[in-house]
Amino acid sequence: MRRALKGFGSYEAGLLGLLVLLMIGFGLADPAFLSLGAQLDLSGPLWESLLLAVPMTLIVVTGAIDLSVGAAVSLCAVCFGLMFQSTGSVLTSGMVSLGVGVLVGTVNGLLVSLINIHSLVVTLATMALGFGIAEGASRGQPFSGFGPTLNPVAKWAVVFAFGAAVWTAVWTRRSVTGQSLYVIGLNETAAEYSGYPVKRSKVALFVVQGLMAGLVAVIYAARRGSVKSDIGQGLELDVVTAVVLGGTSVFGGRGSVWGTVLGALLVHEVRQFASWHWERNELIPLLIGGLLLISVTAGRVIDGIKTPQ
Amino acid sequence: MLAVTLVTVKCVNPGFYEPTNLANLGVQLVPFAIMTVGMTLVVLVREIDVSIGSLAGVVSAVLGLAATQDHWNLGTGMAVALAVATGTLVGVVNGCLVALMRLPSIIVTLAMMAVLKGAGQILLDGKWVSSLPLDLRAIAAGGVPIWVGLAVIAGAYAMLTLHPWGWRLRAVGSHPEAAAKVGLPLRRLKILSFTLMGFLTAVATVVSVPQLSVVESGFGSGWELFVITCVVLGGVSISGGKGTLFGALLGVAVMGTMRSVLVYLKLGDQAVYWERAIQGGLILVAAVADRIIALRKSQVTTRETV
Repeated sequence: MRRALKGFGSYEAGLLGLLVLLMIGFGLADPAFLSLGAQLDLSGPLWESLLLAVPMTLIVVTGAIDLSVGAAVSLCAVCFGLMFQSTGSVLTSGMVSLGVGVLVGTVNGLLVSLINIHSLVVTLATMALGFGIAEGASRGQPFSGFGPTLNPVAKWAVVFAFGAAVWTAVWTRRSVTGQSLYVIGLNETAAEYSGYPVKRSKVALFVVQGLMAGLVAVIYAARRGSVKSDIGQGLELDVVTAVVLGGTSVFGGRGSVWGTVLGALLVHEVRQFASWHWERNELIPLLIGGLLLISVTAGRVIDGIKTPQ
Repeated sequence: MLAVTLVTVKCVNPGFYEPTNLANLGVQLVPFAIMTVGMTLVVLVREIDVSIGSLAGVVSAVLGLAATQDHWNLGTGMAVALAVATGTLVGVVNGCLVALMRLPSIIVTLAMMAVLKGAGQILLDGKWVSSLPLDLRAIAAGGVPIWVGLAVIAGAYAMLTLHPWGWRLRAVGSHPEAAAKVGLPLRRLKILSFTLMGFLTAVATVVSVPQLSVVESGFGSGWELFVITCVVLGGVSISGGKGTLFGALLGVAVMGTMRSVLVYLKLGDQAVYWERAIQGGLILVAAVADRIIALRKSQVTTRETV
């Protein structure tokens, strides 16, 4: 336990305090929101965004970013749906979904590390490409009727999410490879000359991010019983906000998985409360966008504005 | 590339070259040309702005609500002024966050995109604004949008070529540290680029709203991607410092024709669904091409670009 909690610093403690305060505030405004039943009912999206936010943390730690996560989830979900339509097998469709995710990640990773285009340009383009193909291939139609075979996957989501978070938290602290990601983020050129496998690490991270997108698409299908090409729309904003709010520097080299877990929790609770209590979904982008702006500015202040880019 | 597209169109659909169709296309493309001018300035200083689509949505809501009698009823002149002020203000905020706080523009404008999307929806409250006053509608008639577009292009062209400003922007984009060392006002130039981007987005919205009969909350969605595609397709380097206004405007022409070709090819709904994929693919191709050209040029001296 102590090993797992290493890296839970003062920033994370502050974030936890903020989360507790927020929950007290929400509880005072609407006690029913705090009940265990309500929280469990609403918790589905949290596991999905956690599964995406954990690898995103590592990508941002190396100084890159992946804006295509939402699009990857949409594309995987549509491929899952199309495959299910033609084969009727949940297992095959699930494999296809994971495979498509890995493919998206590979394309991103290779373009970023081999051709050396900045990740935000690459993933902005693959984001459009992914959403476009998802929309085009499905013609905006939803897929459903996956049957009861898929149901257990939704229950396992929480295990996947916790497993990924705990394992990654220990791995980044304890293993040489995990620590090398921070070195890459601090100074990529220096890391390369010191013999760190910079390119391989980056490709691997993008591939893992893609794989997680494929997994999340399957979990979503299991949880909601239907998928559509717009399910990943705006997901990248939630995930990036969770990571940045969790104290990971957008310039790379600093960040922790525990911070991201707390960030994801904060984003999740704010989102759920907005639609639960105020019943105004149009407030959600406003709140989350605002959270991202505030946290990125706060991170900059912590880093010191004078530090050269 | 434009030539290839045009020839393909000629073969596929001869009716495309009817003068009325071309004139319609021109009027439809003017807002995008105006925003492309702004985006060129932003990309030249090695930044990006993905919030313009949502910003256009907010500006259209402000314009519609302020101009119509059964809402704020401020009169057309005030409404236009308020709309332009909103756009400029958002541009200033983006610019300050990027330049003064030294934050990555993609994060800032991504957050701004979400904030503005929410704000636009709250302003319109799920409804739409109809019965725009006649004097606002007059803006769309009689070729006014085209004149505004030409004026913006001429102004930007003059600033970029006749005034040293253009060279300063390119210097900042191609090598920020060097530009700062020789004493260029890095922050001011970046803030100015973002301010103009916001201002021009508002202008584009003002000339395009009157072409519609109602203002609704979907207005402007996807514009940022269209404009960014035009800019990178037009040869403006996404890593800053390189590119011309003329190239970017050619990009608008290509994308505009391609969009209407997709409609003309009678693909029906299909075209709308695939459009985003095509835009993404084109950005990717342009970015890879740009990178390969840069690598060829600097095979001896390895130069790090963003």
